[in-house]
Amino acid sequence: MEVFVFSLFNGVLYGMLLFLLASGLTLIFSMMGVLNFAHASFFMLGAYFAYQISQPLGFWSALIAAPILVGLLGAAVERYMLRPVHRFGHVAELLFTFGLAFVIEELVQMVWGKVPVPYDVPESMNITAFAWQGLDYSAYRLFMLVISVGIFVALFFGLTRTRIGLIIRASLTHPHMAAALGHDVPKIFMWTFGVGCALAGIAGVIGGNVLGTEPGMAIQLGPIVFVVIVVGGLGSLSGALIASLFIGILNNMAISYDFSLYPIFKELGVERNVEGVLADLVNLTTGSIAPLLPYLLLVLMLIFRPRGLFGMRDV
Amino acid sequence: MPDPRKLGIGALIVALLIVLPMMISSSFALSVMNQIGIAIIFALAFNMLLGQGGMLSFGHAVYFGLAGFVTAHVINGMHVDAFPYIPVTLIPLVGGIAGLFFGIVVGFVSTRRAGTAFAMISLGFAELVTGLTLIIVFFFGGEEGVQTDRWVREEWFGITYGPDIQVYYLIAAWCVIAAILMYALTRTPFGRMSNAVRDNPERTQFIGYNTHRLRWLAFALSSFFAGLAGALHAINVEHVGFETVGLGQSAVILIMVYIGGTGHFAGPILGAILITLLNAYLSDVSPAWYLYLGLIFVLIVMFAPGGLAGLIMMHEPIRRTAPYLLWQMAPAYGAALGTSLVGLAGAIGLIEMIYFRSTTVSLDSALVLYGIELDTGDIWPWLICAALGAAGGYGCKMTYPRVAEAYSAAMHEARALVTT
Amino acid sequence: MTPAIEFRGVQKNFGPTEVIRGIDLVIQPGEIHAMIGPNGAGKSTLFNLVTGRYHVSAGHIALNGEDITNRAPHDISRKGLSRSFQVTNIFHRMSVYENVRCAMLWNLGYRYKFWQSVRNKRDLTERTDEVLAQTGLSSRSTVLAGLLSYSDQRALEIAITIAGGANVVLLDEPTSGMSSAETEQAVTLIRDISATRTMVIVEHDMGVVFDLADRISVLVYGKIIATGTPAQIRANTKVQEAYLGTDAEP
Ligand SMILES: Nc1ncnc2c1ncn2[C@@H]1O[C@H](COP(=O)(O)OP(=O)(O)OP(=O)(O)O)[C@@H](O)[C@H]1O
Ligand SMILES: [Mg+2]
Repeated sequence: MEVFVFSLFNGVLYGMLLFLLASGLTLIFSMMGVLNFAHASFFMLGAYFAYQISQPLGFWSALIAAPILVGLLGAAVERYMLRPVHRFGHVAELLFTFGLAFVIEELVQMVWGKVPVPYDVPESMNITAFAWQGLDYSAYRLFMLVISVGIFVALFFGLTRTRIGLIIRASLTHPHMAAALGHDVPKIFMWTFGVGCALAGIAGVIGGNVLGTEPGMAIQLGPIVFVVIVVGGLGSLSGALIASLFIGILNNMAISYDFSLYPIFKELGVERNVEGVLADLVNLTTGSIAPLLPYLLLVLMLIFRPRGLFGMRDV
Repeated sequence: MPDPRKLGIGALIVALLIVLPMMISSSFALSVMNQIGIAIIFALAFNMLLGQGGMLSFGHAVYFGLAGFVTAHVINGMHVDAFPYIPVTLIPLVGGIAGLFFGIVVGFVSTRRAGTAFAMISLGFAELVTGLTLIIVFFFGGEEGVQTDRWVREEWFGITYGPDIQVYYLIAAWCVIAAILMYALTRTPFGRMSNAVRDNPERTQFIGYNTHRLRWLAFALSSFFAGLAGALHAINVEHVGFETVGLGQSAVILIMVYIGGTGHFAGPILGAILITLLNAYLSDVSPAWYLYLGLIFVLIVMFAPGGLAGLIMMHEPIRRTAPYLLWQMAPAYGAALGTSLVGLAGAIGLIEMIYFRSTTVSLDSALVLYGIELDTGDIWPWLICAALGAAGGYGCKMTYPRVAEAYSAAMHEARALVTT
Repeated sequence: MTPAIEFRGVQKNFGPTEVIRGIDLVIQPGEIHAMIGPNGAGKSTLFNLVTGRYHVSAGHIALNGEDITNRAPHDISRKGLSRSFQVTNIFHRMSVYENVRCAMLWNLGYRYKFWQSVRNKRDLTERTDEVLAQTGLSSRSTVLAGLLSYSDQRALEIAITIAGGANVVLLDEPTSGMSSAETEQAVTLIRDISATRTMVIVEHDMGVVFDLADRISVLVYGKIIATGTPAQIRANTKVQEAYLGTDAEP
């Protein structure tokens, strides 16, 4: 029971972290039609900036400053680099962000080196928040959960209760209407991109010290976030939320329970001493295939529901 | 009937491919040429998707790599007589069929969507297969990969594929065959409709075509040629590792093809030659090679979406009507080239110095750049490089508009010549 | 005689909005049937339902006696029904010649063949040249479709529609945005191609409609309020009230 509660807790946490990335990605995609391949790279920059800022100024300054910096950088990238590419179409835009991801990874290596940097959980929160039936739950994880849920709530209210949220939601469903209503669309695009990147930056600040801050972190997390938004249905925020949480929980359950897959094979008439390909498979546990689960989910989704959970527009 | 000019060029290329290895003696250069041949096949296969079918894949190395693994196992099986003998000369076909098989299976699912969704799905499949390489050790050999030995027995004319030069001719021959086949494909009903579904999938449906079928077929055929390239790779290096199916390999082929140019058949060939050469000769010299590659790619996406082939073909109308106009443009182009080189020298200097400081463990050793020993602890190298970069950048700002002017003037004149 | 197209109780809703509210109509083989009605009446939507672009909410549609309700667009196209679009819908990055040739590949049996060149095929070359000549595009055949003038693009739209030799052709506002000289050319072309085909045409230019059509249907708010010969429609008081009174020629 306690294993279940804890892995549920961790799963929700991981899911919310994914959602911080997926929500920004979805906002950008729905507004601009651009899939920001470099989104996870901004997540990585968030972590590195936080590391750099927290060295002299401490974690709390980093928590505020790093996402702002990442957001400004994102806005600048949109304004000066992505916007000129817009006229070449969406594939060119996707290719641009792909190239950007490539370049950011190399730049990060250039500045901070190829090995992980020691970006650590702040001392003050490196304590046990509560212990239950012999399992500890760290204060920092609790803090991460509070932050990500807080941002989710803020985003939700921002989108449903404010004027700018109304415009954004209108552009989600009717991409061309916002322009027709006389809004300065290029500016909205720029700030959407900036805010989306800033959200990824926040995820980097609060996640970097737990997941590890190193040049490979973007390419590790990026594809999972893309799976999230395809499974949720491209352009759907609620789809992204559900898919994030589902993948987060699935992943943690698979790891903490670590079921053996052998019973399934046994049921199929395969014994432990088989040879060939099956020999590698019968001894698998859910923990060892956990990293693959999002992609398996993607394949299943494609077979049974190609548009994703809540996908409307075919893009 | 193919036109005589094209036949002439073809004959010239074949002749060149035959004599080229006789003129060079370094085994490194030979191995680079082998890599180029494989890269050309793979790049052309990739462009069947991207350039001709409008499908952007971030995971096409999956079919290249899987075919490589199958090839390695087939050859290993032949060594122990577990597999009927097939001449190694024809083994690339086995790879092609393996690629085709995986392309048909995966393609059926992934080509149900086009555009951005297709791109994301290709990425998902690539991650899935990469993950499987570490799980299904029986097939992928885990971290070590699969070794093989291409010398099975003597084939026609005493060929054993022991010496590298024989492998070179094997790759060159298959490269020519594959290129011809892929070119021919562009002129079939399938090839034409592949362009149609790229341009306007909706209208394609209303002229009787199932767009999913068309994309699926393009995907499968492209995977066939990718698999052929993968088999040659397995034969060439006698080893297939998990990285051959990975995202890195897929990214490199995408970058290669796009830099070369997706809009012309020869574009990917150009990209494959250029990037493989640069990779072979720069990756050991500079730790920043991938940064440069990424920057070149981004610049091409931003300013020359037709790639290098597109840039060259822009000048084709001028060359055809009035070649002397090209000479008139030369000064402007030359000035732009000069300022670019100055700026590049500065920028490269800065990048190399930063890399040096952040990745070298002992800062006592000096950085050697352009044949000069630099002390990165000193301020002067930084100042000089920054000055060069700034001067070059400023110069480019002055000279680039001239290039545009010279080009449009020449185009204008050429057009005037055509109409009179 | 089996009707070329038959609508039985066809309805279409977009969410709560009823756009087509029960259509029963028979298009006779060989006739030119004009569909008129104010903007937003549902004319294009009706075309989209016949050609499989949208699914119907209720009712049935038959082509030459065969039920085609909610079939895929390519399926319906293969059965000999072809359409043009109100908003030009061509292959922009291919030449005019390629556009036309591609449009006939399926119907001439070339399908997905990847082992046979399209070059030097007599049937393709002749038919492409014929369609280009018919639509007045012969001199533009090597131009990229995206670079054509607007009226040439409209002509290409029609060329793609007729290239496959479909026996039922739907044209959605073929003359929209054309000058009067261009319209005249288009009318000649339409009469020419309708000689051997059944044709349904949506058109706002009443001169064109009354000139070409054998029969006319008037669509208002998703319902057909009258169907008949041009003379009958002209005389129909309901139509005059609802539509012609404000919009038509005297
Ligand atoms: N995909 C859609 N989703 C929602 N509403 C739609 C859709 N397509 C059409 N409509 C609505 O259906 C109604 C009929 O549109 P339709 O295009 O069929 O009119 P039309 O008779 O062709 O008009 P026009 O003469 O302007 O071309 C319009 O009110 C339009 O807004
Ligand atoms: Mg209409």
